[in-house]
Amino acid sequence: MDQGRRSFRNPFDIETPPGAEGWESMYPAYLLFGEELRERDEQKLWFFDQMHNPEPLYPFDLMMPESWLVSLNQYTTRVWNLPTALGIEHRIVNGYLYLSPNVIDDPAAMAEREPIFAQRARHYFENWDEIYANWVAKATDCIERLKAIRFEPLPDREPLDTVLRARGTTTAFDLLARYSRYLENMHEMAYYHFEMLNLAYGAYLTFLEFCRSHFPAITDDLVARMVAGIDVILYRPDAELRRLAVRAVELGVGAALTSGAAPDAATAELGTTEAGREWLAELEEVKDPWFYYTTGSGYCHAKRAWIDDLRPPFAALADYVRRVERGEDLVRSLDKLRAERDRIADGYRGLLDGDDVTGFDDLLALSRQVFPFVENHNFYVEHWHHSIFFNKARELGAVLVAAGLLEQDDDIYFLHRYEVYQVLYEAEARWALGVPTRSEYTWREEVARRRQIYAAFEKWNPPPALGVPPEKVTEPITVTLFGINTDTIQRWLAAEAEGSPDGRLLGLAASPGVAEGVARVVHQVEELDQLEDGEILVCPLTAPSWSIVFARIGAAVSDGGGIMSHAAIVSREYGLPAVVATGVGTRVLRTGDRLRVDGGTGVVTVLERAAAPAGEAARA
Amino acid sequence: MTDLHVAAGQTTGGEQVAVTGHCLPEHVNHVGGKAVGLGSLLRAGQRVPASFVVTAGAYREYRRGPAQELTQELRAAIAGAYAALCELDGTEVPVAVRSSATVEDSAEASWAGQFQTFLGVSGTEEVLAKVEECWAAALDPHVGAYRAGHQLGDDDGGVAVIVQELVDARAAGVIFTQHPETGDRSIVVIESSHGLGEAVVGGEVVPDLFEINKITRQQHRSRLGTKHTEYRLAGGGRGVRARPVDPARQQAWSVSEPELMALTDMAAALEAKLGRGLDVEWAIGAAPSTHGTEALFALQVRPITVDPRRRSQRPQPPAAGRGQDAIGHILGRLAGREPGTGAG
Repeated sequence: MDQGRRSFRNPFDIETPPGAEGWESMYPAYLLFGEELRERDEQKLWFFDQMHNPEPLYPFDLMMPESWLVSLNQYTTRVWNLPTALGIEHRIVNGYLYLSPNVIDDPAAMAEREPIFAQRARHYFENWDEIYANWVAKATDCIERLKAIRFEPLPDREPLDTVLRARGTTTAFDLLARYSRYLENMHEMAYYHFEMLNLAYGAYLTFLEFCRSHFPAITDDLVARMVAGIDVILYRPDAELRRLAVRAVELGVGAALTSGAAPDAATAELGTTEAGREWLAELEEVKDPWFYYTTGSGYCHAKRAWIDDLRPPFAALADYVRRVERGEDLVRSLDKLRAERDRIADGYRGLLDGDDVTGFDDLLALSRQVFPFVENHNFYVEHWHHSIFFNKARELGAVLVAAGLLEQDDDIYFLHRYEVYQVLYEAEARWALGVPTRSEYTWREEVARRRQIYAAFEKWNPPPALGVPPEKVTEPITVTLFGINTDTIQRWLAAEAEGSPDGRLLGLAASPGVAEGVARVVHQVEELDQLEDGEILVCPLTAPSWSIVFARIGAAVSDGGGIMSHAAIVSREYGLPAVVATGVGTRVLRTGDRLRVDGGTGVVTVLERAAAPAGEAARA
Repeated sequence: MTDLHVAAGQTTGGEQVAVTGHCLPEHVNHVGGKAVGLGSLLRAGQRVPASFVVTAGAYREYRRGPAQELTQELRAAIAGAYAALCELDGTEVPVAVRSSATVEDSAEASWAGQFQTFLGVSGTEEVLAKVEECWAAALDPHVGAYRAGHQLGDDDGGVAVIVQELVDARAAGVIFTQHPETGDRSIVVIESSHGLGEAVVGGEVVPDLFEINKITRQQHRSRLGTKHTEYRLAGGGRGVRARPVDPARQQAWSVSEPELMALTDMAAALEAKLGRGLDVEWAIGAAPSTHGTEALFALQVRPITVDPRRRSQRPQPPAAGRGQDAIGHILGRLAGREPGTGAG
C-alpha cells in the first residue's frame, strides 16, 4: 500500500529567503540540518511547531525550545522510560522550528522499558493530588525566586559598601552570577513544566480514545467538556476582567473605559474622581498575578503580557462594560457549567452497558483528577513565569545599553543566551578598563545584521512539514502534546499537493456550529483591533488572551492547534464554530474572502474570493 | 367520533378485523409484525395514522376457501371498520393498504419490499379489492423464493393487512435511532425528503441526511439530498402521483430545525420505551384524524437490520474494566498499545 504515501519537501532543498543569507550563524550548529546526518534526516518527518513558535525564533527566545528539548525529552527517555518513544529532535529552517519524533519499535527494547515505565508512572497517578499540591508550591517558589533576580546598570563607582564590608567581589561579578541563576531558574521551570504533563495528557487521550471507540461520532469538544475543570486558574484573568467590568458599572465609571481612549488616558481620567480611584485600586490588586498573561503562546518575548501592555485587557474591559450596560450577566455560573458537564457525561454513560460503564466512569474520574494540571500549568508556566522571564531579559538589555554595548534594550533578544555571557563579560571588561573597546561596535553591528535577517524570515512561509512521513504517527507525545496524528499528515499532504482546488480547506472540528462571513487574516494580537464585528478570524493560532475578540467574531480558523488548543477551548466557551489545524489557512485564505466555517466537520469553504491585492496576482 | 386507537377490548386471536392499538408482540402470528409495531408506537405515546388490521386468521380462511374470495362476513367486517375511519372527517377517507406478514420485520431478515403496499385507496369497494390483492401477492412465487433463501418455512402463519388513513406528507423519511453503519449509539440518523416516504424507502431520491447527537441535540453532520421527485396524494384521494420538485425546493432542506428536534425527541422517546436500535418510518403532514392540521406521525417501527459483515469491520472497543484499572489502561496506552488491539 504505497499509493497514499507521499513526501513533503526535502529539508536539504529549502532555499534561503532573500536577505537572510548567513542566517545559520544566529543559531547553534547542532540545531541545523548538516551533511553529517543527511542520510538520516532527509528520511524523517519534520513538522513545523506552529503551536508554540508560530513566528521565527529570536536567538534569545531559543531558550524556550532548548529548555524543553532537555526537560520534556529527559522525562520521556530517561525518567519515565516511555516504552515506545525517544526524544523529539529540533531543527531550525530559515528561523522556524521543526520537530521530529523518534519511536522505539524494537519489541525487546519496549519490553525492557515497560515495567520500569509502569512502576514510575503509576507512582505519579496513584499520588496525583499530593504531587500536584507540591508542584504548585515548587512552581510558585520558582517564580518568586525569578522575581527576586534584579539586573541593574553597573554604577560609575563600586559602592562604598563593598569596601566597608570587605566583600572582595564587585557588582559586575554579581551581574554575571545573577545571569547564571536566571538561566538556571528557567531550566528549573522547564522541568516542572513537563514533570506531570505527559502523564496528564496520556490520561486524557486514553479517555478520548475510549469514547471514540464506543461513539465514533463523538467530537473532541464533547470529551473536553466532560473533562474540563470548572474553576480553573487559567481562566481567572478573564474572569477578573469580567468582575472589574461589573465593578466599573457599579461605581459609575464605565464611560472612561468605553470612550476608546488609550489605557494611559483612560487611567488618567479615572484618577480624577473618587470612584475612579477606587476602581483603579481594585485594578492594581488584580494585576499581580492575573495580568501576567501573555498575548502569545508564552514562547516569544515579542508577545507582551497584559502587565506590560494594557491595551488588550482594556479593549476587553470596554467590551465587557458595554455588555454589562446592556444587562448581560457576565459572570459565568459555575453551577451551570457543572450541571452541563454532568449532563453530557450522564448522557454518554447511559448509552453504555456492563463493564464499559465502569471503564467510562474510572477513566473519566482519573481524567478529571489530572486535568486541572493541564489547564493550570499553562498559567503558572507560560503566562506567569515566562512573562517575568522575558521582562527580566529586557531589564538586562537595558543594563547592556547603559554599558554602551547595545543600541536598545530589546537588542538582547537577537543574541543567543550563551552569547549573552560573552557580551556580559565584555561589558565587565569595558567597565574594568575605563577606556573604549571594540565591544561598543561589534555587537551593535551583529544585532543590526540579525534584525535584517529576521525581517527576511518573516516574509517566508514555513511549510507545515518537511521530509518523509512515517506510515502512521503513533509517538504519544506528538499525538497528545502537539495534536499531530496520521490524519493531520494526510491533510497537509493533500493541501500541499492540491492547494485546495475546490475552495475547501480541511482542519480539525474543534467547536460545533456553522457560520458564514468575511475572513480577517490576523497574524499578531496587535492587529486584532482591525477586526469588524461578525468577521471570521483566520490566524496562525490563538492564545487564551485572544479571547477578548471572541465575543465579536463569527467563527475562528487557525493553522495550528490540537486536541486541546486554546482556540478550540475559547470557541467552545463562546459557542462559536471553530476549525483548527488547517496547516495553511493564513497562507491560502485572504482578508475579504467570504467563508463558510463548519466547526462540526472541520471544513472551511471559500464561498467567494476577495480580489487579490496588488502584486499577489502573479503568485496566485 | 370513533377513536379506533382507544377502543376497549383485547385482541383475542380469533377476530377477522383487529384494533391496531391492541396489537401486542404476542399477537404477531395473528396481526403481523407491522401491526405489532404500530401497536408499540401507540403505546409508546406516538401519533400514528388511524388504522385497523385485517388479520392473518382471515387470510387463512380466505386461502382455505374453495374460490379464494372474500366471504360476505369478512367484507362486512372490513367495510364496517373502514366506515369508522371515514367518520373521522365524513368523507371517503383515502387510506394505505399494506401487507403485515407474520414473518416480516424481524432483526434477522428484513422483508422490506417483499409485500404489497397500495397508497391512496378510497371507497369501500377499492379497499376490499386491495386487501385481496395483498393476499394474492403473498402467494406470488418470488415471495416463496425469498422464504427459501432465508430458510423460512412455506407457511409461517400468513399475511395480515393494515388499512390506515393516508397522511398526505409534506415531508417524510426514516429515523435510525443509532448510526446504522458505525453502531454509534449517541447519533440519531434522519433521512428526509419532500412528499410521501415512498421516495425515500424505495431509494428513488437521495434524501436529506442529518446526524444528530442525542445528548446535546446538536447536528453532527448534514447533507443536502437531490430530491428531484416527490409523491403526493392525487386529486380526489385516488392514488398517489409522482411529480417533479422544482430546483429551489430541491436545494431547500425538506424539514425545519424544530421538526428535526421533534424527530430526535421521537427517537429518544421510542428508545426509552422499546429499547435501542430502532428503524422508524415517519411523516409530517395532514390527515383526516388531525382534521387537516399538519402533525408528525410515526408510521412504522422495527429493529435496525445490521449487516453482520459491517459489524465485524468495526474496531472493537477496548475491554475496559476487565482485570485492568484505569491507571493500567492509561499506562498501556502510553506504552504504545493501540486502542482496540487487545494487547495486554
